[in-house]
Amino acid sequence: MEKPMGRQYGFYFDSDRCVQCHACEVACKSWNTLELGIRWRRVVDLWAGQFPKITNKTISLSCMHCAKPACVEICPAKAISKRSEDGIVVVDSSKCAGCRSCTAACPFHVPQYARTGTMQKCNFCLERLQQGKQPSCVATCPGEALRCGPLDVLIESSSTRKPAERLSGPTIPSLLISGRLKEADLLEILASKI
Amino acid sequence: MDKGCDRLLVSRRTVLKAAGTMGAGMMLDKNATNWLTAVRSEAPGEKLIPTFCAMCGPSLGCGIYAYVKDGRFTRIEGMQESPVNGGRLCAKAHAAPQWVYSPQRLKYPLRRVGKKGEGKFERVSWNQALGVIADKLKEQKQKYGAESLAILSPARRSYSEFLYRFLMAHGSPNYGHSGICAMQKAFSFTYTLGAAPVPDIPNTRLLLIWGKQPVYSGSTRGNLKQILDAKDGGTNIICIKPTMEPDVAVSDTWIPIRPGTDAALALAMLNVIIHEKLYDSQFVAQWTYGFEKLEKHIVKYTPNWAEPITGIPADQIIELARTYAKTKPACIDHGNGLEHTSSSNSAVRAIAILMAITGNLDKSGGDIFPGGSGMPVPKSVHLRERYTQEWVDKLVGPEFPKAFQPGAEGTSSAYYRIFDSVLTGKPYPVRTIIAPGTQPSVSTRGVKNVLEALKKLDFYVVVDVMHTAEMNYADVVVPVATMYETDHPFEFSGNWIMARNKVIEPLGNYKSDYEFWIDLGVRMGYRKDFWNGSITECMNDQLKPLNLTMEELRAKPTGIVFQPKPMEYGKYSKIFSRVSTRFSKAPYLPQGKVAIYNTTFEENGYEPLPVWVEPPESATGTPELLKKYPLSFSDFHTSKVYNAGWLRNVPYLREVLPYPTLQIHPEAAKERGVADGDWVSVESPYGQMNIKAQVNPGIRPDTVMALHGWWQGCEALKLPGFSLLEKGANTNSMYSVDYAKAFDPVVTAMSSQTLVQVRKA
Repeated sequence: MEKPMGRQYGFYFDSDRCVQCHACEVACKSWNTLELGIRWRRVVDLWAGQFPKITNKTISLSCMHCAKPACVEICPAKAISKRSEDGIVVVDSSKCAGCRSCTAACPFHVPQYARTGTMQKCNFCLERLQQGKQPSCVATCPGEALRCGPLDVLIESSSTRKPAERLSGPTIPSLLISGRLKEADLLEILASKI
Repeated sequence: MDKGCDRLLVSRRTVLKAAGTMGAGMMLDKNATNWLTAVRSEAPGEKLIPTFCAMCGPSLGCGIYAYVKDGRFTRIEGMQESPVNGGRLCAKAHAAPQWVYSPQRLKYPLRRVGKKGEGKFERVSWNQALGVIADKLKEQKQKYGAESLAILSPARRSYSEFLYRFLMAHGSPNYGHSGICAMQKAFSFTYTLGAAPVPDIPNTRLLLIWGKQPVYSGSTRGNLKQILDAKDGGTNIICIKPTMEPDVAVSDTWIPIRPGTDAALALAMLNVIIHEKLYDSQFVAQWTYGFEKLEKHIVKYTPNWAEPITGIPADQIIELARTYAKTKPACIDHGNGLEHTSSSNSAVRAIAILMAITGNLDKSGGDIFPGGSGMPVPKSVHLRERYTQEWVDKLVGPEFPKAFQPGAEGTSSAYYRIFDSVLTGKPYPVRTIIAPGTQPSVSTRGVKNVLEALKKLDFYVVVDVMHTAEMNYADVVVPVATMYETDHPFEFSGNWIMARNKVIEPLGNYKSDYEFWIDLGVRMGYRKDFWNGSITECMNDQLKPLNLTMEELRAKPTGIVFQPKPMEYGKYSKIFSRVSTRFSKAPYLPQGKVAIYNTTFEENGYEPLPVWVEPPESATGTPELLKKYPLSFSDFHTSKVYNAGWLRNVPYLREVLPYPTLQIHPEAAKERGVADGDWVSVESPYGQMNIKAQVNPGIRPDTVMALHGWWQGCEALKLPGFSLLEKGANTNSMYSVDYAKAFDPVVTAMSSQTLVQVRKA
């Protein structure tokens, strides 16, 4: 965190283009060879209203690569760090003691634990990023609901397309949401579902 | 990184646009090869193989790059150069390695040594297996005639034409087709409009998504993107279906119709449009036949009549009809859901008439007949030229009436009727059934009858990559390669053709589906019809119209993209005079106009105008059953992570949908003391299932629905498999098989409706 920050990378999610197909979730598991039961990305939906006046909203959630990540701050082993060049939050599993402090600190239920007991989560498909490719979840999205890139570029492009809001909150998540799902809906989802 | 980010934000659209501007016959290979080389050098130790996804099909699947490390297929990426998917892939595509390496794969050919159903087999060689099959077929052909063989068709595959070729060479017309797989819809559209139209979504102002699931079925192939782009552009979207699926969630209006009553809704819409004179009178006068007969006929189908049948308030039907008739242009995106009912033919015909009389046919933003492709069409292997009337007369249970055969796909018998012939001997018993990539006990109705027929059947052959639901009844099991283990065939559709490439060497002692038919053809003595046993010769022969060999095609890693023919609207005289596939070559539309009143149907003893036919059991058709079975039941045919009766053994997919569920409204659940996640017993007059309740506010309170195709377990997740009969999860066991009620009288579509009661299990 001492080095000057580069451009913060983040995700953009258009809830009017997400069709709950779970392609992002499975693309992530397959690309990163995740153990069964581990989800670095998850699709969650929210129902409201009474038949036949019903609404159904959805979000695809992963690590938000927050500007002020609570997990980085709390980790006693200093296993979690925020990359200075792009703000991506990464875990060094060789340092992780599996104490799960980060789970308690993360407002988005992101940390996952494999059989080894160490924490793992979305790393923005760094290996792909370095090849100039989008993360697997973004590249596969059939509805083109997910996008990613430097947040300033995403904000600029959303201003000419669809209005998007950056999530608020003390950790300043690097996620822009657009469409019918609002931040309040997300808070409701987080309160009821993991 | 910044260099990377700029590239990241280049949208897929840019790549495709570049591809789209190339001239006919121009290759994408130059760019593609560079791209491929570049990535290869960035990822040492990992090979990338351009090929097709094979999680549905094999057919013209989505383009993928398959990653191989140390000889093992590891992961997948979408092929941006593919004009079909443009880099997009669904959940299934990414789970391919788990499917290929699943413990349920068949490794070597088997011959039954135990009793039928017992599951005792001995290992044999590929040649021994083919020898046993060939000897049996030769013997039966001599004793009972070649028509004693039936081959069951899975959904349309690129090997479907090979099944036809084998039947043609052998002498049997009995290609067993399901009765609910797009061909029913195609038939009814073609005999009403001359061809099946497609919605021109990018240019429309109003889109009706009717009986279709664009998310779970082909989500990556462009249709879904068109819908979402239309939504972003302000198009009014109305979804007509019983449950609030994800496409409904992004639409403007949901019409929660009771399952199987689409014909009633379409008839009532016609009633409103005709009564209020909202139709295009000029088009009606110039291009339709029998409108005045429809005017009289439609009087009885009022919105008030349709309300109790469809469960949609009359006012909403009137509003829907007016909105559709008054918004110009408007289009209907129609799905196979319209077919799963005994009123299938009428539903599709009524919808076709709606398109026509509102003047939305073949106009920008309406339902159109696309211009076609600039690609020379590869040679078919079907041997259609050999059809005779005698051939049609021999059909054991015609899928379409004999007077309408051969149809667009060829001759066909209804899948279920083939099993019925085994049990009843009428009109004659089929003696051998070959099931390539299809599972009759989870794919067709009357599960008990199917299993009984399999016990009684002389000879049953399973040709598949995996253990199948009823494999234990097989006399011979022939394992075949997944499409990741073979380097053929080429696949083509629209404007794109590409060679399939082998990702890994076969994991067992087997060849491909295509090679199976070629090898069996040779063993039967049909050598000349099967390219003397050479798959290479077979592929090259088909590619002759393109002046290419398979190896020349393979040299272009992402295939060849051709330009589509320019779209011309209003091709009425051309489309309405199309010649049919029948022997008479009579046109589909005898008057050269939209067949509102269908004289061809009338001459053959079928209803000339669309009529309402109740499902075998329904709230309005059999109200006396409501006391015992108060809820309407139907099944979903598609799912976000599974295909038909497959893929439940794939862990990454099973994690998304671990259990078979009954979608039930919170009120209906509460009345029964059922909570979300409870196991429930679902009972119909014909069968029973034990599945988990999923309390879903987005379903009609009087209706419950479940996904079909459950039987497989998933070892890795320690999740169970399910019985095919009682206490299982097989929706096919729930329905009637009464020929008088459960099948459409013209197109033999199988009804997917009944009444049920639900209790806590």
